[in-house]
Amino acid sequence: MPRTRTNQRPSRAVRRPARSAPARGPVAPAPPLDPRSAERLIAIAMGRGADFAEVYAERTERTGVSLEEGRIRSAQYGVDRGVGIRAISGAKVGYAWSDDLDPEALERAAQTAAHIAAAPREVTPPRVRRVPLPTHYRVLEPLASSAVDRKVELVLRGDRAARRYDPRVQQVFGSYADQTRTICVGNSAGHWAQDVQDLCRLHFQVVAAGKGGERRTGFYGGGGRVDLRYFESFTPEAAAQEAARQAVATLGAVDAPAGPQTVILAPGWSGILLHEAIGHGLEADFIRKGTSLFTGKVGQKVASELVTVIDDGTVANARGSLNVDDEGIPAERKVLIEGGVLRGYMSDRLNAQLLGGRSTGSGRRESFRHPPMPRMTNTFLAPGDETPEEILASVKRGLYCAHFGGGQVDISNGNFVFEVAEAYLIEDGKLGRPVKNATLIGVGPEVLRHVSRVGCDPTPDPGIGTCGKDGQMVQVGVGLPTVRIDELTVGGTSLGGRA
Amino acid sequence: MESALLEVAEKAVTRARRRGAPQADAWAEEARESSVRVRDGEVEDLQQSTGKGVGVRVVSAGRLGFAYGSDLSAAGLDALIDRALALAKSAAPDPANRLPGARELSRRHGDLGLLDPAVEALSTEWKIEAAKTMERAGRGIDPRVKTFESVGASDVVAEIAVASSEGLADAYRSSYAALFAVPVAQGDDGQLQTGYWVDQRRFLSDLEPAEQVGRKAAERAVRMLGAKKGPTCKVPVVLEPLQAAAFFGGIAAALDGKRVHQKASFLAGRLGERIAPGWLGLVDDGLYPRGVGSRPFDGEGLPTRRNPLVEGGELRGYLYDTYTALKAKAKSTATAGRSYQSLPHIGTTTLLVQAERPQSAEQLVRGVKKGLYVTAMLGHGADTVTGDFSQGAAGLWIENGELARPVQELTIAGNLLEMLSALDAAGDDLDMRGTVGAPTVRFAELTVAGA
Repeated sequence: MPRTRTNQRPSRAVRRPARSAPARGPVAPAPPLDPRSAERLIAIAMGRGADFAEVYAERTERTGVSLEEGRIRSAQYGVDRGVGIRAISGAKVGYAWSDDLDPEALERAAQTAAHIAAAPREVTPPRVRRVPLPTHYRVLEPLASSAVDRKVELVLRGDRAARRYDPRVQQVFGSYADQTRTICVGNSAGHWAQDVQDLCRLHFQVVAAGKGGERRTGFYGGGGRVDLRYFESFTPEAAAQEAARQAVATLGAVDAPAGPQTVILAPGWSGILLHEAIGHGLEADFIRKGTSLFTGKVGQKVASELVTVIDDGTVANARGSLNVDDEGIPAERKVLIEGGVLRGYMSDRLNAQLLGGRSTGSGRRESFRHPPMPRMTNTFLAPGDETPEEILASVKRGLYCAHFGGGQVDISNGNFVFEVAEAYLIEDGKLGRPVKNATLIGVGPEVLRHVSRVGCDPTPDPGIGTCGKDGQMVQVGVGLPTVRIDELTVGGTSLGGRA
Repeated sequence: MESALLEVAEKAVTRARRRGAPQADAWAEEARESSVRVRDGEVEDLQQSTGKGVGVRVVSAGRLGFAYGSDLSAAGLDALIDRALALAKSAAPDPANRLPGARELSRRHGDLGLLDPAVEALSTEWKIEAAKTMERAGRGIDPRVKTFESVGASDVVAEIAVASSEGLADAYRSSYAALFAVPVAQGDDGQLQTGYWVDQRRFLSDLEPAEQVGRKAAERAVRMLGAKKGPTCKVPVVLEPLQAAAFFGGIAAALDGKRVHQKASFLAGRLGERIAPGWLGLVDDGLYPRGVGSRPFDGEGLPTRRNPLVEGGELRGYLYDTYTALKAKAKSTATAGRSYQSLPHIGTTTLLVQAERPQSAEQLVRGVKKGLYVTAMLGHGADTVTGDFSQGAAGLWIENGELARPVQELTIAGNLLEMLSALDAAGDDLDMRGTVGAPTVRFAELTVAGA
């Protein structure tokens, strides 16, 4: 089942716009595979009668730093490189990959992929031509070439700030992780694209101890397709203290209520609601197979008229943004739902062809070890016109959800959950006592019909989300303004006045 | 055992020593994986690949560095080693950073039954046939089985090699084959429901027949048709074996010795305490024959063993690696997980939930007047720091001891310590299809939230 698993929370921090400086030094790094080799491999993959073949090559360098008990536990580095080859015959897909870049190993992989078809023939290698691409992220200094000590320092600074925040802070876990991913993709239609995708995130978890052995946790962090200068404005101190604030603020939390409630979602990472409640169900593979409850509903009203949902892979420097997807197609801004009416789906090349549409630049893959499939990029709810204060004042009794964990959806029956990590009771339009963590559950279209107020404060999440589908993890962004939902089931333990 | 992969691991350690690492270990993997999926009686996709790589861990002046890659040439290894050594300079010194010694690394147990020659020789045609059989069987049980999210078969044959500067060079090979079916059924009102059934075994002969996997998956989808939201109330809750396995997997995460040492687990400081009814046991058994989680040595090369975690309802032990054991003045449980892309980390091998005096699963349900039988859970659920538990659930509503009607859009919630105490019965149907084996279990009362 599609599943978003993450440990992150929203932020009011607004991402910087793209810089106007050149993308990177005077010379872009060489692609992980040269176009002539790719052409030969495409010809081999087509050699048994496939209609389409594609070669994807990747080189990703990763660096990580982890901190616990006030010191750097380890620093890590790794490099993943390889080639994935796909042959398509009708709706059938053959896929093989190799992390051995020896030409013979690559040819073997191409032959394995070719086996999906069974009518051997002579194929002339296609000539691939590079397509010009837009630039949605400009990173002056590739993360892979930035000194590790600067990354270490970010984590140490956060640790000190969290401990300074409150004497009840008992443990701080800090991490920094980045990757510089260089990809190229060529196919039998003569398409060739290259991109360099830097990505980083800084993250803190804080445990606070209260009376009688009570423990509460807080999480916060952020990043994106940015270089280390990003952390001059998104400071490790602020991120770690936000994690500490959550942990300390929820000490003394009472049991969460159980059952349907009026719920207000704070802006930001709460956008995971959209990702789960509706986003996955609009991915074209589920539509083609008829397993999504949104199949065949384009043009129909599927949500409150206050709901306009956009998946946008072109947001400057955002975690889910792509200059080009993993099939070599430029990312787009797609309006999925407009005023409550379903407008379209997110598609990769294969599903677009089988459904008779076009790719929306949504074909993504975890790495060269996986074939691409339709995925989200950055998924947002368009803002409304009410202030957050007005929305809070409109609720007599309910739950204010300030921070969230991860979520998961079953795209067939539409049941989805997302986890609330910091929440407060609402009494007469004001925030009351903190309540313990609870899971919220709903059915996608029903919840979207119950959206009754949308705030004027659109907020992207701070850049931490990772989504898992069919075993493949990809980085995503979400965003939401303050939203009121009139009925959502809260998975608490307190029955209140109920029997 | 002699193999090219073991040579790579040994070479990495020798070169690391030569390049200045006082202590180093290397973990190398090579795996051939293949999978088949079908749709409407035809092959939908075929994948087959072989990958390999090596990860090198160095300890220098008490500092830990790590690097991995898939270039196994001498120059490739040297580049990784130099990276790991340079990175170690950025980490803090800690006397607990050391590799297990020669005595601890001493000879491991014999054959655990991890490699099946029949899986090694498994043909693509066999997998295609199995997948088609599952699809046919699933569709055959009810016309409302409309399509499949996916249905297929896969297998993996892998070799793992480890070498350490402290005197270890060892390798083993393993296999597993898996069948999976995720059908979607559609009711007259248009409601869609998925089922899910999967089996994964080291040996082909242990695998559930394909026909049965397809049928069970379809039955699980069809019986959910017409599901409505259940009521909000406190009632007995029964978890079927797959859901019980997930629940106890969450409990094991709270037994991570590092989290316990850092007082970041709700089970910290409870060693020797009664945390569950006297009939309950929980054991991590790395030697469990043919277990998907079983292995001859752990991520640090330590010989695996059997670790009692809960016995007679009492908490008997936590899970440790070498580093945490040194800090907590305990012994490693040899349960560290590792892939070539990661440092060793505390985990479990094969986890078994044991119950004395079990009843049949039917008896467990029959004993409930009104309650919930859980067949699917959504979300993460357990907060191992605080012990709070809240998770999405769907399944069948129990009325007067019978599975009466499908329900969905529910949550079950509680505090894990209270939930463990609330366990009041277990079934005799231990299911061992993954790395956690559990029977049906029943809680006397949990909060269910719905309408």
